[in-house]
Amino acid sequence: MFKKLISYRVPRNLLVLIYLMGLMLLFSQNIEEPDMFTLVSGLALVLIIYVSNFILVRVSPGDHYIFLIVTMLISLGIIMIYRINPSLGAKQVVWVSMGIVAFFASYLTVKNISGWDEWIRFYGIASLILFIITLIFGSTIGGARNWIKISRFSFQPAEIIKLLFIFFIASYYNNEDKYNLDKKGGYKILIAVYIFIGFLFLQKDLGTALVFYLIFLVIQYVYEENRRLILYNIILAAVGAISSYFIFDHVKIRVETWLNPWQFIDNKGYQITQSLFAIANGGFFGTGVGLGHPDFIPAVHTDFIFSAICEEMGIFTGIAVMMLFLILVYRGFKIAFSQENKFFKIVAFGISSLFGFQAFIIFGGVMKMIPLTGITLPFISYGGSSMIASFIGLGILQVASEELDIDEVEQDG
Amino acid sequence: MYNILSLVFKYLFILIIYLFMFSIIRLIYLDIKGMGLSTYVKDTYLKLINQKDTLPFKIKEVYSLEEDITIGRSKNNTITIKDPYISKNHLSIVKDEGDYYLEDLGSANGTYVNGDRIMDVVRLKNGDTIRLGQVDFIFVKRN
Repeated sequence: MFKKLISYRVPRNLLVLIYLMGLMLLFSQNIEEPDMFTLVSGLALVLIIYVSNFILVRVSPGDHYIFLIVTMLISLGIIMIYRINPSLGAKQVVWVSMGIVAFFASYLTVKNISGWDEWIRFYGIASLILFIITLIFGSTIGGARNWIKISRFSFQPAEIIKLLFIFFIASYYNNEDKYNLDKKGGYKILIAVYIFIGFLFLQKDLGTALVFYLIFLVIQYVYEENRRLILYNIILAAVGAISSYFIFDHVKIRVETWLNPWQFIDNKGYQITQSLFAIANGGFFGTGVGLGHPDFIPAVHTDFIFSAICEEMGIFTGIAVMMLFLILVYRGFKIAFSQENKFFKIVAFGISSLFGFQAFIIFGGVMKMIPLTGITLPFISYGGSSMIASFIGLGILQVASEELDIDEVEQDG
Repeated sequence: MYNILSLVFKYLFILIIYLFMFSIIRLIYLDIKGMGLSTYVKDTYLKLINQKDTLPFKIKEVYSLEEDITIGRSKNNTITIKDPYISKNHLSIVKDEGDYYLEDLGSANGTYVNGDRIMDVVRLKNGDTIRLGQVDFIFVKRN
């Protein structure tokens, strides 16, 4: 019985085990004043995740691994966030539950509504409206003007725009024969993408701008027939990046603190140096949950969660997190390969590269491999909009992992 | 007390996470192996003649005939092909004393062996073409 419970043949159960261990650890951390709410919400989350993994196998004939991988990432994230700040951890439990609901909701809506590939105007206009709203009503948190506050709640429209953006590009390349009659369609889409990126620059949201650009570049690389456009795109971006270094102050700061953070250790290089200290302090096996000092890093629960994981759970767990992302992206690409419907093929490709690039940019950033740009680590970082948007993306990926064209044929026949 | 627990747990966490990853990779490996070309080494199989991309439903290049099979659109067949022109239970291929016999299970659009619609049980020879719905198979039997 026990042997079957922790067997590697049932990864679902290993997940539960990690949760229960983490919960026990966090509960015994302040054993003097036990917090019953933590225990109850933690157990509820274990149940939700176990049951949703179980339901998914029954409901969806598609890929069952991506959701498992993601729930593993989430469990590591929640343990870490709760350890850093219990009240944020409790909130994160709520966000994750809402995210799972969003996952199933987006799975069912995307699956049961057809015609997603024809609404290119809707995707473009909706994104522009969201951008303009952010620019006018947005408030600045952490240096970037990308938040909208409605009474107590605040959210990042850019997270939703990411998905709309992928749909926008996918519907263009899916209906290329319709939109590209005058052979100028490639230029139009290029201009549209640069407008998107320009808005993000105005909001000083460099990380998201980089993610948008990279997603567009890879989709263009795969599907654009006019190969010269790709070269133009790269040259344009290179010129833009170099000139923005000289024009915008906040770009310059990022590059300077990347090249040598040590001479700014007491002000703008503080965050990145603390992150390096934390990773180094952890070593191979980490200090143990609750025994390190990840709270020395500013914004540790969102952008720098990876440093906290490395410090307290060791570089081995850090490598494991990277490998989990690697498997997730690999599964996403495999889904894109085997999908027959071209629109969902491109969408699956876009979403899996979204996860991959986002993870790469922030891993590289906190380890000082590339200039730091503040974006969240999907599924691990604290944050409602990021969590829900990532889960919606995952739901769409789940739809794409199924055979979509069968149903249409059966309806016709 | 807490420190000891945390120290023990950090090793356990790493162990379980890697076990979890191992199990996922194992499942993916089995998944890839299942759809791979391993059926080619078997000596009796049905091979698809149509270009796979022209058929708008999921179908494999090769189906092994190691065991008796039934083909049809419903899920309780050993081989499910979601072609709308294939009946729910379309045909069965049964092995008897080294020979293979094909029988139509009363399908609506019929089964054609080498172009002729079959009425009774037919013994299959190497190289026979089998047509059901929009799908063409070639029967391969190597001695």
